[in-house]
Amino acid sequence: MATVTESKARFDELRLSGKVFLSNKTAVVGLAIFLVFIGDAFLVQVAPGVLGVQYPDSVVPPQFTQTNPECVGTAPEAPSFNHLFGTIQYGLSGIGCLDLLQLVMKAIRIDVAISFFIVLVGAAIGTVVGVVSGYFGRWLDEAMMRVTDVFFSVPFLILALAVGFVIGRTLVNMALALIIIWWPLYARYGRSLTLSTKEATFIESARAAGSGRLKIIFRHIMPNVLPPVLVQISLDVGTVILIFSTLAFIGFLPSNALVPELGAIASIGLDFVALGDWWPVIIPGAVITMFSLAVNLMGDGLRDVIDPRRRS
Amino acid sequence: MKLWVYVIRRLVLLLPTIIGLTFLVFALEHLGGNTLFLAQYINPHLTGTAREKLVEELTAKFHLNDPVYIQYFYWLAAVFQGDLGTSTTLGQPVATGFVWFMPNTIMLTLVASVLTWIISIPIGVYSAARRDSILDQGVRVATFTLYSMPVFLIGFALFIALGTAWHALPDQGNIDPVLLPTIPDAWFDHTNAVSYPTHILPLDAFLHGDWTIAWNSFLHVILPAVALTLALLAGIIRILRASMLEVLEQDYVRLARAKGVPERMVQNFHAKKNALLPTVTSYGYLVSGLFGGAVVIEDIFAFKGIGWWTTDAFLNGDVGVVMGSTLVFGLILVVTTLILDILYAFLDPRIRYE
Repeated sequence: MATVTESKARFDELRLSGKVFLSNKTAVVGLAIFLVFIGDAFLVQVAPGVLGVQYPDSVVPPQFTQTNPECVGTAPEAPSFNHLFGTIQYGLSGIGCLDLLQLVMKAIRIDVAISFFIVLVGAAIGTVVGVVSGYFGRWLDEAMMRVTDVFFSVPFLILALAVGFVIGRTLVNMALALIIIWWPLYARYGRSLTLSTKEATFIESARAAGSGRLKIIFRHIMPNVLPPVLVQISLDVGTVILIFSTLAFIGFLPSNALVPELGAIASIGLDFVALGDWWPVIIPGAVITMFSLAVNLMGDGLRDVIDPRRRS
Repeated sequence: MKLWVYVIRRLVLLLPTIIGLTFLVFALEHLGGNTLFLAQYINPHLTGTAREKLVEELTAKFHLNDPVYIQYFYWLAAVFQGDLGTSTTLGQPVATGFVWFMPNTIMLTLVASVLTWIISIPIGVYSAARRDSILDQGVRVATFTLYSMPVFLIGFALFIALGTAWHALPDQGNIDPVLLPTIPDAWFDHTNAVSYPTHILPLDAFLHGDWTIAWNSFLHVILPAVALTLALLAGIIRILRASMLEVLEQDYVRLARAKGVPERMVQNFHAKKNALLPTVTSYGYLVSGLFGGAVVIEDIFAFKGIGWWTTDAFLNGDVGVVMGSTLVFGLILVVTTLILDILYAFLDPRIRYE
């Protein structure tokens, strides 16, 4: 019987959460845009043909290493009905006249995957470190705080450049460089959440009942730390895409790597800006903004859900 | 706690951070192996036996055959003497490059910071005071969108709109290349394109009374500065608005209203000052974003500061500059945070007791 009422209570809780989220119109809009991005990423991954996307892992078809005979001498075209986002050239010598919409659809898969990868790995490492040091306190905590201080002491973009310089300029290494920057944020956050939970009476009673430290950490502290961390994750997915697309834009990824990433595509478009062509830079940038905006709106809605003071 | 006790406490806490910072930079330099480490001390044009001899000398100087913790101290000793190696892209010691380019970055970030405050304070305060009005909603939508834009998009939207499309403002470099030869040798080093004495071109031209150069180089500052301001603005307005909303709920504000103080006085005298306080500390975090933004903006507008130099060095494999920037920007950020913390403690005595 007890389990039935418990699961009913849980269901009611979930339904209330859903109601609170859905009553926030901007959050729902954010969710809808977010789902479009996820849908695109999913389709490009499992069935790229449905969207008309070919060779999803590269900017140009693999055979066009020198020039694409069809495109020599053609200038990038402005957005039109044939090419909704216009076209761009890869390289001024004209390797491929590429449909920008198709490039953007390919790039969304990589951008979404990398944002989630960075934030989830960073949050996992950071939260565990933060909870452990917050719970055990004393010298361990002090040492951890000093370590995070060091990571915060360098402007994040410059630290990412320095790390990338040493470990090599690839897409995976760019993600690694950003994880190195991201985990201390979660270590701090997890620590402060743990400190406020640690003093609660239910922790005291668990300890009195003979629970071990590990059990207290994983059974009692983690469930209280995780919801706010999850909201933070949802907000950070929208922030990290801004940072790594900017890194890619200033040239973190070598231009011959041909990775379809929104910032890297915008930097290909740089060659045409002097000619007055705006779309190769502005459209990829606007797509990044859309994603970040959607995620931020959604994250704000989620925060209302887990913060009872903001429910009404 | 007295203010000076607090200052000393903060200074003591600063030491482990700075030591940790040197560990971090040293570790990064050594992760790449000895060849990468030595690359910053060797002229790339040097070949043959002369190069081998220099490698040997440097190996001995930095004790590269000894354990890592011993190497650290020899590296640290070199850093203390201002020896950050040689920049291969500039052909000058890295330290010299910092002296030349840092003033431009400092000017750009200062101008952007001042502009940000001038614009964001009235908007944030006004938006909070008239909560949910059409104006407030407009401000919220605008800041939310701006907040979600990558820095390069902000920079490029300005670049394209005002630079290439309307030619309203110059968008590349620090001065019109046509004017370069007209600058007298007396205060301008033409081989390295560096002006004296402050290394900030508009200021130097002003000091030497050359109005054409001063005006032209000043125009070159506007677009990068405005772009950087826009990159910072949204974050500050959001913090300010939230902070102002919180203050307006306080009892003392209610009392002021109840005793009949006009609403404008309540906002400007009672609420605004207290709302600004927490923004000062948040600004500490934003400084990190300010320098990061400066790197991107300088790169886009080819504005010759440390950020432009660092990205250029990054793309051309100039290890000394990338590592030097990490160290120098780290030190600047640490000191800025310290100053802001002390300022905050001075303004709000409650902080000293936490």
